[in-house]
Amino acid sequence: MTAAPSGTAAPAPTAEHPFVHPAHASSGPMVVVRDARYVYPRGGVTALDGVTLDIPAGQIVGVVGQNGSGKTTLTKLLNGLLKPTSGTVVVNGMNTADWTVQKMAAHVGYVFQNPNHQLFATTVEKELEFGPRNLGIPEEEIPERVADAVEFFGLQDVLGQHPYRISFPMRKLVGIASIYTMRPRVFILDEPTTGQDHRTTSVINRLIKRLGERGDTVICVAHDMPLLADVAQRLLVMWNARLIADGTPREVFANAEVMQRTHLTPPQITQLSLRIPSRAGRPVALAVSELVDEMRGTPRGTEA
Amino acid sequence: MADDSAYITIRGLGYTYAGTEQPAISGIDLDIRQGEYVGIIGLNGAGKTTLGLCLNGIIPHMLMGDQEGTVSVAGLDPTTLPVREMGRTVGMVFDNPEFQMSQITVAEEVALGLENLGVPYAEMVPRIAAALDLVGLAGFDERSPMALSGGQQQRLAIAATLVMKPQILFMDEPTSNLDPIGKEEVFEIARKLNRDEGLTVIVAEHEVEVLAQYADRIIVLDHGRIALQGTASDVFSQVDRLTELGLRSPQVTEFAYGLAPNEPGLPVTTDQALAWLGARA
Amino acid sequence: MQTMNVSITHVGGTSWLHRLSPLAKLTWVIAVMAFAFASYNPWPLFAIALLGIVLGASAGILGPMSRVLLVFAPVTASMLVIQAIAPAICSTDCTPAAQLGPLTIYEEGISHGLSLMSRVLAMEVIAIAVLMTTHPSDLFSALARLHVPYVLNFMLAMTLQLIPVLQREVQVVLSAQRSRGMKSTGFGSLIPSFVPVFAGAFERVQQLAISLESRAFGSTGTKTSYRQISFGPMDKLIAIAGIIVGVLGTAAGILFWGADQTPVLILPDWLAILIFLVALVMFVGVIVVAIVALVRS
Repeated sequence: MTAAPSGTAAPAPTAEHPFVHPAHASSGPMVVVRDARYVYPRGGVTALDGVTLDIPAGQIVGVVGQNGSGKTTLTKLLNGLLKPTSGTVVVNGMNTADWTVQKMAAHVGYVFQNPNHQLFATTVEKELEFGPRNLGIPEEEIPERVADAVEFFGLQDVLGQHPYRISFPMRKLVGIASIYTMRPRVFILDEPTTGQDHRTTSVINRLIKRLGERGDTVICVAHDMPLLADVAQRLLVMWNARLIADGTPREVFANAEVMQRTHLTPPQITQLSLRIPSRAGRPVALAVSELVDEMRGTPRGTEA
Repeated sequence: MADDSAYITIRGLGYTYAGTEQPAISGIDLDIRQGEYVGIIGLNGAGKTTLGLCLNGIIPHMLMGDQEGTVSVAGLDPTTLPVREMGRTVGMVFDNPEFQMSQITVAEEVALGLENLGVPYAEMVPRIAAALDLVGLAGFDERSPMALSGGQQQRLAIAATLVMKPQILFMDEPTSNLDPIGKEEVFEIARKLNRDEGLTVIVAEHEVEVLAQYADRIIVLDHGRIALQGTASDVFSQVDRLTELGLRSPQVTEFAYGLAPNEPGLPVTTDQALAWLGARA
Repeated sequence: MQTMNVSITHVGGTSWLHRLSPLAKLTWVIAVMAFAFASYNPWPLFAIALLGIVLGASAGILGPMSRVLLVFAPVTASMLVIQAIAPAICSTDCTPAAQLGPLTIYEEGISHGLSLMSRVLAMEVIAIAVLMTTHPSDLFSALARLHVPYVLNFMLAMTLQLIPVLQREVQVVLSAQRSRGMKSTGFGSLIPSFVPVFAGAFERVQQLAISLESRAFGSTGTKTSYRQISFGPMDKLIAIAGIIVGVLGTAAGILFWGADQTPVLILPDWLAILIFLVALVMFVGVIVVAIVALVRS
């Protein structure tokens, strides 16, 4: 597993990622949140109570917490679906308060948990074209983007089919792909593996890693701790509308107090590694293979 | 394993949905004893839901398709008895909590089954109170089901079926759409119902770590057939086989497998794994 | 997250009207509806409407009631506006009351318009008063007691439940589509939400059907009812009074207050113009607001 890149500039346009954003030149963090608060207009409930954080470009971040902890509110502030009641949210140089959701969509792609909420076109291909077309991408560029998405997500077989006739796991992929064709720098995935079987979870796992390899920033809201243990370089723990922990998965899962307070449980392998008497004081294990190698004495060691 | 004390007996069960070519399930031979906690795992589309629907008669009565084989549930035959009769014996809980709600208040949701069965009002009241109490929703009577959390809604769905006093509870991926707290609540109730009330509990799930902890037996479905079955330890120790099927074992079992691939009876819970490591040291 | 109110129509409370049996209340609703259908004379009808408002005040729901009436006001006002300039009851020999630019306001028009308004208002007020003071579950239980078919009753109750749910679904879908850059103006913005919402509703109904079947929904025997509604002596008295009033009122309506017997109201010109203008403002005002909202969204 690679260490978290921090404070790196957004990668320059490449053949793989040619679309250049207006604020691309910024060399600061991709996401800057300063004391963001959100209060629901009706009912006055404070869903987010002052969050401050930076997310560098290319980082894969997991956001965890119980339902109602503010994690969804935080992500909706990031793509401009919600505007902060106070504080600022700036993504790729764009202050969300100054731009509509539609304008932010060119920079931040939000993949909703239920793909059914997005899919309405008659074919998968049309679904993939919808996003870029809305952004005003010239017609002649759209087929190339669609082809890129088809290749990346393996959608060759379903391209001409009606979205509701393909399997639910495929629909989830189409949902992500239809955001991908908009070429945002930041992907927000809302519970991508909730309710999915192991095979689909593995596919999504690999997808997230590949997005990270391309330099995209991925923010993943999830309850799936083993998934996040594997893909996330950083975990944000939300509780009671606040950010109560921010660190690597290894740090966060080892923090018993935070885990208890939020009623979250680390992956089973992590729990095991915490309880093995001979390992006391050592960093917790995040993956089965890691602990196996360690127990075997294979010189792979553990990263901090 | 021939079992005369089998409470649920299934022989050669198969079902093909109307308009499809491939059977959703086929050749299912299964015996479940009274009071067992059975976990069913398999990929989406492996036939878990179909199997459940055959237990209470929804298949064949409500859905179109071709069924073959025999099913006997607590001595009753769901293929001939009307579904409403089976409702007294088999309770069903599905994966989307909100989709099971239809009434204006929590109490009415629980009462629905009793109303349908023509239970007199005087008998209804204590039964509803008892059911709500069992799932930890005492006092929620006048609340709107749509305003509850996912975990609460699912517990309400359980109460709504428990009130009919079934002996068997089939839960089809009941925690798929729930957050960790909701998952805990539902699994805790399943455990309580099985251990304290003696219900036969059958749970189809992806959460293998939890199933390994509670289930007496695990059944692995693949493309509509039973690929493996046995105790949690028997089944989950076959890590390679499960990987072939696109499934996984609890992480601690995979870990033990990594250290001792040929050992049978690997640990399936964290406690067992610690003991296992201790014994190897 | 959500309020404790079990439905969008019910307003909680413990007034005498709240505690009155839903059966008694329904009887009066039917009585007033029958009377309103039969009568055209605005005076008794406005009186009933006023009575209804007084009833609402005594039940402590005047505020919410007025708000709902205000929502319906433009539609009610439109009836007057349209009738005033193009009366339905006289085609060529109408009596002009006043001239407003190119428009001619007719005596018969204003008169007939007021008549229509009063009928609608009477029905509105009593319906709102009863809906607001009756728990929806009790309402449906009462309908069941009146032998409304079980399935119909169930469907009505489900629809009530589903309206806020589907509203929420539409919002989620619109959010998802806006997050894909879809502009949200005009009717075209709603089209992408039809399929997802319908698909979601379809899936929901399928699962619900199976869940209900599993709880013996298909039983053909007598079903019992958990929701018990009271029907004590006082309730019975009020219900009987309602039936009597309803029957007598309808008879009176047909005999004395029918369309033909109702004399055309001759109003002083300034009053006719005033009434017309007020109704026009209410009617037009809402249309303008609606158009602005549609264009803006």
